[in-house]
Amino acid sequence: MTQMHHFFYIVYIMPARDYLGEFEHIVLLTVLRLDDQAYGVTVRREIEARTRREVSIGAIYATLDRLEAKGYVQSRVGGPTAERGGRSKRFFRVTAQGVSAIKHTHRALRSLTEGLALLKTRS
Amino acid sequence: MTRELPHPHPPRLAAWLVALFTSAAQAESILGDLHEEFFDIVSKAGIASARRWYWRQSAETIAHLASAGFRVAPWALAGVLLLGFLLRRFDFQLPEWIIVAILRAQRPYSNLHYGFYVWLVTYGIPIVGVIQTVLIGCIVAAFAKGREIVATTTLSIVSPFAFLLHFLLVGGQWSNSIFIFPWRFLIIQVENLVGLVIGGVLVREFRSVVARRFSRTSP
Repeated sequence: MTQMHHFFYIVYIMPARDYLGEFEHIVLLTVLRLDDQAYGVTVRREIEARTRREVSIGAIYATLDRLEAKGYVQSRVGGPTAERGGRSKRFFRVTAQGVSAIKHTHRALRSLTEGLALLKTRS
Repeated sequence: MTRELPHPHPPRLAAWLVALFTSAAQAESILGDLHEEFFDIVSKAGIASARRWYWRQSAETIAHLASAGFRVAPWALAGVLLLGFLLRRFDFQLPEWIIVAILRAQRPYSNLHYGFYVWLVTYGIPIVGVIQTVLIGCIVAAFAKGREIVATTTLSIVSPFAFLLHFLLVGGQWSNSIFIFPWRFLIIQVENLVGLVIGGVLVREFRSVVARRFSRTSP
């Protein structure tokens, strides 16, 4: 199978709903990495620390809400704390469907980058 | 004797604006996160930096939440905006009809209330116009649950362009009033646009109060 045929095969076997956008992918991996401590503040800080990219709380919540609607994450509300002005935290965790979406995306990316000379020389 | 420093608090106006663009449940977690990070920055870099950070985060958060409001349900929002356009289009002359009806019924110019007549003719139409626009804002916001401010702000921004297009296509009928009183006409337009957003804010605040009461009474 040629490289181009391989790409179309991956797109064909990957259902459209399992495709992750770039920021969705970053947020999902961050939630997975933070395990049971994933809420707005920790997700934002982890993304900034690892990608050196400044993100807003609004961007994170807009993405997490979209991921929750797709069934890739689940959220639960914690108890209110004084350091948050008496407001509750909303914790997120990745579902089995979310893990599957990450795997699909990684497989597609690996397939697309396989054999690219440019990446080989850089690494 | 030492004076205790005032307890720092996040900018209330910024927090209120963020709350306007979110649902009640979303506001709880987003404002809590902003609050938590604000005090972290206060302890590290001081209150001025923390306040700047809070304002910048609030502006970016509002922009993201507003654009998400369009992406999540574009057709529902378009339907609500169409409803707003139709209400504004058909109720355009309503304030004038109401004032004329009051004048016909009360005949203030025919008795000693001449001052009231002058006041009614001068300010009556703009006042009724603003009340009518606030009501249209309330109706649009009532249908755009969770996106009240996005819907009414969009309607208020797009309305002048729709009005201009309508004027260019079927114009003429309002040309005299526009060219004779251009500033008054512009002021009325601005008042009307602000009225739409005020209607959205009223409905959003009402829903927030109801949600807070409900969360307090539920176990």
